[in-house]
Amino acid sequence: MEQIESLLNRPKAYCNIDGVGELAIGFMCLAYSLLMWLQANAPKDSIWHGMPAFIVYVGLMCLILHYGPKAIKKHITYPRTGFVEYRKCHTVCRPMILGFVVSAALSAGLMFGLRRHWNMTTPASLIGLLLAAGYAYRIARTVRWKWAVVSVVALGSIVIAVLPADVVGALADHSSVRGAFLLTFVLYGVALLVSGGISFWLYLRHTEAPAPEAQ
Amino acid sequence: MNPQIRTIADLDRVIHEPGRLMLMALLFAVERSDFLYLQHETGMNKGTLSSHLSRLEEAGYVEVEKTYRGKVPQTLLRLTPAGRKAFEEYRRNLRGAL
Repeated sequence: MEQIESLLNRPKAYCNIDGVGELAIGFMCLAYSLLMWLQANAPKDSIWHGMPAFIVYVGLMCLILHYGPKAIKKHITYPRTGFVEYRKCHTVCRPMILGFVVSAALSAGLMFGLRRHWNMTTPASLIGLLLAAGYAYRIARTVRWKWAVVSVVALGSIVIAVLPADVVGALADHSSVRGAFLLTFVLYGVALLVSGGISFWLYLRHTEAPAPEAQ
Repeated sequence: MNPQIRTIADLDRVIHEPGRLMLMALLFAVERSDFLYLQHETGMNKGTLSSHLSRLEEAGYVEVEKTYRGKVPQTLLRLTPAGRKAFEEYRRNLRGAL
């Protein structure tokens, strides 16, 4: 029975067999970090504070995130190890609902704390622990060496949480909360890019496209 | 007859064969996949895989669609509603038997 359950989970693990999912999330985190840094440090009359630049930047980022992984899957993954179309309820509905609930709860907590003038630097930094837990649940359970990535993100988040507020705030126009978010996203983005890059390299090394008649 | 033994006797024999059970479980978790993916995941050779898929198709559990990816022929496979129902029932019966 356990073997059947494990087989039922194999397609989920196949989704990130090439590390492309991690590369995409890593890219998204770093792109958001860059945007946050630009908005925090650019002069007040800079284009980075205007809505048009924000829309163009995010739109471009979404285009890359939508078409980049699709192109890699189409030209590299599917010809090598096969094509899989996932059930919509697994790939769209559940993650969307979960993402909405988690982000709404976090935003509400953050707004509540800021209105009451609580020091939110440490809670903001600990979002990294939440990201590490999500990564452990989604990816590290199936690939053992990815627990090293979980450890790096978790430890890094704790280090960010204990850094002096003025050091963290120096990154983002003296806002320690924004600085903590920025550092956490950079940490998570770099960890995922490195981990995804290693997975992609291992995938290319251990697989090869079969002859056309073999498909 | 002991109800537990009856449950074992009721197990769907088309699905109960290990190779076909693997294919049903893999296809149950996705919307559809191609022949190459099933070959990669199960480690079966083309002949064995084709024969199991034909058996599942005959039973009405799997739908086969022949198409092209660019100029390369591609065989897409998905579980039919009857296949999904049969697999769910098989799991329920197996759980009951164990």
